[in-house]
Amino acid sequence: MSQRRRSPVITGTGLICAAGCGVSSVWKSLQTNHSGLRPLTLFSSPRFSGHLVGQVAEEVAALAGKIRGSRSDQLAWIAAREALAAAGFAGGWGKVAPTRVGVMLGATVGGMLGAETFLAALLREHKRRFGPLRFHECAGAADLCARQMGARGPVATLSTACSAGAMALFAAAELIVQGEADVVLAGAGDSLSRLTLNGFGSLLLLDPHGCRPFDARRAGISLGEGAAMLVLEDEATARARGATILARLAGWGASCDAFHATAPQPEGRGALAAMQRALAGAALRPQEIDFVSTHGTATPDNDAMEAAALKRLFGAAVPPFSSVKRFFGHTLAASGAIKAVLAVQSLRAQAVPGTPGFEVADDKIGLAPVREFRPLALSRILSNSFGFGGNNVALVFEKFDSEAIPHQEPPASHPILRQPAAKGWAILGAGVVSPAGHSLAEIAAAFRAGGAPVADFKVPALFPDAQAKVYACGEFGAERFLDPARRRNLSRLQQMTLVATRAALSPQMVAATRPEQICVVIGTGLGSLANTAAFVENLILKDERAPRPALFASSVHNSLAAQVAIEQGCAGLNSTPVQREITFETALWQAATELRTGRAELALAGAADELQQYPLAAGLRWGWWNELSPAIRPFANALAKPARPLPGEGCAVFTLGPAETAAQPLGFVSAIRLGRSQTLHAEAEARWIIETLEREHIAAGEVDLLLTGANGLREPDDFDQAVAAACSRQAGRTILCHGYKHGCGEHYSASAFGFLTAIGLVRGDIPAERPVRTVVLWTRSPSGTKGMCCIRG
Amino acid sequence: METLIEELKTKIIAGFNLEGVTPGDINPDAPIFGSGLELDSIDALELVAILEQDYGIVILERSVADKAFTSLRILAEFINANRT
Repeated sequence: MSQRRRSPVITGTGLICAAGCGVSSVWKSLQTNHSGLRPLTLFSSPRFSGHLVGQVAEEVAALAGKIRGSRSDQLAWIAAREALAAAGFAGGWGKVAPTRVGVMLGATVGGMLGAETFLAALLREHKRRFGPLRFHECAGAADLCARQMGARGPVATLSTACSAGAMALFAAAELIVQGEADVVLAGAGDSLSRLTLNGFGSLLLLDPHGCRPFDARRAGISLGEGAAMLVLEDEATARARGATILARLAGWGASCDAFHATAPQPEGRGALAAMQRALAGAALRPQEIDFVSTHGTATPDNDAMEAAALKRLFGAAVPPFSSVKRFFGHTLAASGAIKAVLAVQSLRAQAVPGTPGFEVADDKIGLAPVREFRPLALSRILSNSFGFGGNNVALVFEKFDSEAIPHQEPPASHPILRQPAAKGWAILGAGVVSPAGHSLAEIAAAFRAGGAPVADFKVPALFPDAQAKVYACGEFGAERFLDPARRRNLSRLQQMTLVATRAALSPQMVAATRPEQICVVIGTGLGSLANTAAFVENLILKDERAPRPALFASSVHNSLAAQVAIEQGCAGLNSTPVQREITFETALWQAATELRTGRAELALAGAADELQQYPLAAGLRWGWWNELSPAIRPFANALAKPARPLPGEGCAVFTLGPAETAAQPLGFVSAIRLGRSQTLHAEAEARWIIETLEREHIAAGEVDLLLTGANGLREPDDFDQAVAAACSRQAGRTILCHGYKHGCGEHYSASAFGFLTAIGLVRGDIPAERPVRTVVLWTRSPSGTKGMCCIRG
Repeated sequence: METLIEELKTKIIAGFNLEGVTPGDINPDAPIFGSGLELDSIDALELVAILEQDYGIVILERSVADKAFTSLRILAEFINANRT
């Protein structure tokens, strides 16, 4: 097979924000230096009513057509539709196979606006209107776009706060370079919400006068909303179908400050590292960058540290730079994606936007941004995005010369440095907090006893007398492992994650590895729900008086991975997948990618979710479960809809590394893959699983057991067994089929517990009908997304 | 003034779960944050929320908070001048 180097190019862009709807409309605002900030009208805010925000002027729901979803989802789809049409995919995929089409989005707000409406009705009027909770998840936009597009390649959502859009582009580029997809829709959308407005307010990070990036008087951000999408495509695919190539994504770099929950490291160490890695990946020197699109939020800390990092990187020759934040506000996850679209536009137009809001230079910064739109000869633009928790991403966009001969040689950019050893990546450590116990031995004992115990869970705010049956974690030793000062501002889910991580990652492993070579990818379906709910309840009950910053800081999805990085000093990529049932598989894929590229020597992969009364109450209301619901018995309950499996919670974290470095690994993981099915077809699923194994030279006949998310619901359980039967036929031997949810309950991070179950099976700790050496963990979501991996002893 | 300082000490110890710290351990003339109490910048912002909750003082700008938190004595003066 020829090793033609794969390189991501951009063939379509779409954009909606306060500065306009559509790329050309926004560009016109930039050309005329026209800011789209205006007073908030989307919802009433007693505290911030006079503030300027970047609210989208158009009627979003109407623009989105018949699409149902949160405002964030609708914004994302509006931008995606424009990008797909621009790339020539409005009428279908043509020569591109849908299985080669992926979706990789960023999101942080998701359906929070709807959840706030639900809580306001509940707490003020005692009305139980659960409808908006159906669109709460951050994964909504990616699922929606994938469904609309008919994408059947990898689909995932990442939530690294304000760098999420850039992180999505980073991951999309990897999907293309590693050959997992030929076309990827990448970007992000986030709506305004009371949570984020009051959250940033509680951190004293909102400037009532509107943001003033790099200005001496700057006092914070203006919050905004919007979405931007890019069609990323392998250069060869784009050329073969005669697409117009707009620009190249030449470099991408990520780092973690490992410093503070919400404040950046003051000298910009993490920011500098991300920029250096983006340049190194593209084999570029600093002087080859012509322009920097800064994160430039206009908080006192961000702009000072970003300027310091620019000076460290470029010395006396800092290229022209600007911040576009005053045009449309800080759009959180969407920010990095919007800047990517604008960078592409700049490279095409050979012109750069200015920095409205900047008037008075800051002597302490010693640098001044480009003030107004102006022409500039551009070959490459560096675009920075920094998120809470020190989640930094830098991207390099390059002008595309259509006359140039396509690359013949593998380019310097982000080469795949190594393949896993014969059996895969070594699993060096595991940590777990689960309803079945907090160690593999306890869990094995629970499985021998038929599963974890079922507990009662009260839902006081909604149904005073009602109880739901659940799988709960109980005490997990937070008091023993974490001192009170450390625990004070941490959510229960953060504490769970830190406790699990301490079991997975030994001090010796950390000591033997350079901090920047330890990456942390810990996903969560819903984040620290208890803290998030408490923050919003407080807003509603007290009319936004005295919002609580500690609750807000821990409500951010990536606060789990960020706290792990802070505690363990991990300065490599830090990311937080939020893709419903395949949250953990996405974490595993991203962690393995960092190992494959040699950017990480140790990679943490994990997932965590917790029980909370509102989703439980919604399930009670919708008739999914009640006090009489039975415990989960995979393949044996035969429950019919609308009954649902009992909810659970838990966290599992694993340390992965190259096999050479492992003394006595717990096992090995390989054949990690994400995908999506449009319809349920057992033979096709079995083919997908076996094809994935064969790509990594694992014969189907080696597989002993298929481990699935079977949960006692008749139809999906029957389907899982049909897939196992089809795998058996294709492999020519009987492959066992097991579940694990009787140990952890139903939750978005359950498959992380499944991964530990697989380790227990191949080690012989957890018994099966016959000795098991090779397990395939296969997880699918009702939305169609799926993920798999192979675990061997 | 001294009563208010003592009141603030109690609120800080209770509000931030400072186990093993007594009011006598807190020097009213030392910086509240960054002087050995193991309080970080999130705690400083939590104190802003406490001031609003208990004394009706709304702080929206960090520069104001930074100045008020120079020491407990200065904070007490700030509260007396601004409370509603």
